[in-house]
Amino acid sequence: MDFELVILIVMLGVFALSVFTFKIPAGMALMLASVAGALAGGEGIPVRHLVEGGFGFLEAILIIATAMIFMKVMEATGALGTISYAMIKSLYRFPTILIIVITIFVMFPGMLTGLSSACILTTGALVIPGLLAMGMPRLAAGSLIAMAAVFGEVAPPISIPVMIIGGGVDMPYIGFAKPLFLASFPIAVLTAVFYRFKYLGKFKIEEVLPKLQAPVYRKHGIKLFIPLIFVIAYLILEQNAVPYLPHLGVPLVFIIGAVMGLGSGEKFNFIHISRNAVRNAMPVMAILVGVGMFLQILTLTGVRGYLAVNALALPVGFKYVAALIMPFFGSAYGSASVIGVPLVYVFIGKNVIVLTSALALLASLGDLMPPPSLLFAYSAQMIDEKNHFNILKKSLLPIAASVLTALAIIVFANDLGRLLF
Amino acid sequence: MLYWIYIFILVYLTVIVMIEFLSAEGWIKKITYAMLLLPFILRILQIK
Repeated sequence: MDFELVILIVMLGVFALSVFTFKIPAGMALMLASVAGALAGGEGIPVRHLVEGGFGFLEAILIIATAMIFMKVMEATGALGTISYAMIKSLYRFPTILIIVITIFVMFPGMLTGLSSACILTTGALVIPGLLAMGMPRLAAGSLIAMAAVFGEVAPPISIPVMIIGGGVDMPYIGFAKPLFLASFPIAVLTAVFYRFKYLGKFKIEEVLPKLQAPVYRKHGIKLFIPLIFVIAYLILEQNAVPYLPHLGVPLVFIIGAVMGLGSGEKFNFIHISRNAVRNAMPVMAILVGVGMFLQILTLTGVRGYLAVNALALPVGFKYVAALIMPFFGSAYGSASVIGVPLVYVFIGKNVIVLTSALALLASLGDLMPPPSLLFAYSAQMIDEKNHFNILKKSLLPIAASVLTALAIIVFANDLGRLLF
Repeated sequence: MLYWIYIFILVYLTVIVMIEFLSAEGWIKKITYAMLLLPFILRILQIK
């Protein structure tokens, strides 16, 4: 057996043991796996490399922290609650369209932050009372927002799993908008339609509206939405009107939006909101520090090069089996870094941008899987369900559909690449 | 100018993470916060 393969097995083993047996958070588990890999590779404990690796995703960490603060501010001003109320009030006559719009609304924070938990904790929490009041069964409502959170994590403009895989194979985060849209929106719409026809019957709007967060539009007017409009407009225009707009960077745009929120709606304590946002995003930011260390040690010990060279010789069937392992890592970012990076080499010859987008979808499903089942654990709290595995059971069909979608995108990556670019 | 604005943002986030670090219960949580504080502080101090 090759020495690099032994190191890789040690690293994966320590990671799996830490997460599954000792229930250590994924970020810390990645750090321990990195230390174990370095020791196995005869490098001792390379503090310099571990610290260097910790910087690998500093930009993504800044995006997550600032975006989470922004979303929490939008929630606190009442902007998100008002949108949720207006959405249901104006679309209740068209339940199919309403469920699709609700699904996209839940996805929205994930699209901006790259965080699935941001969807559950902000827009997900806002729509749950409405879904339940519409008569959707509790488990189905919890399942729908968890699935929407996964699709939001994949959807453009910001997809952290893609950034992680890109960081591992030295690929810039450019040109992913269309393939990420393809990997997220069609399956999100299909899932929404499935929940609509399977779980949503007739409902009385007068019973639904009182259960939603009261809208504050009359009190604050259009200024309530100015921060949201500013952030979305700037993120779009920054890419398309380069000579006319200064490139501020995504974190600064979010911070400006969050500060604008101070005078736009309901009053709130900025420090308190920031602490809450950082607390919610902490596990994910720690994973990114751990991922950076993990990738650094893979490179230091020669495992990354080994994977790149040997992946080419793998039989075709095995490649797809390897891809199917991704969702079972229990963490989107852990999966993207540990399995996602080698898989890009495994599928070399396919359109790498389309392929990585599909891998991001597979990796993001990891946030639903045990042992942590992070998204189901959150949604279980919101629907007062003690056993979150019941929501997992309810979600098996959309999860299977998402896996099949990702596999189909991988199989036809080159054809799709020609269509999209 | 933009560089210093980003350093300021980082200082703000570091203070928030530091408050959370100090109020966190259990050594696993503390280590997780420390993992994040390390790159933040080194970047603010311009060491890395």
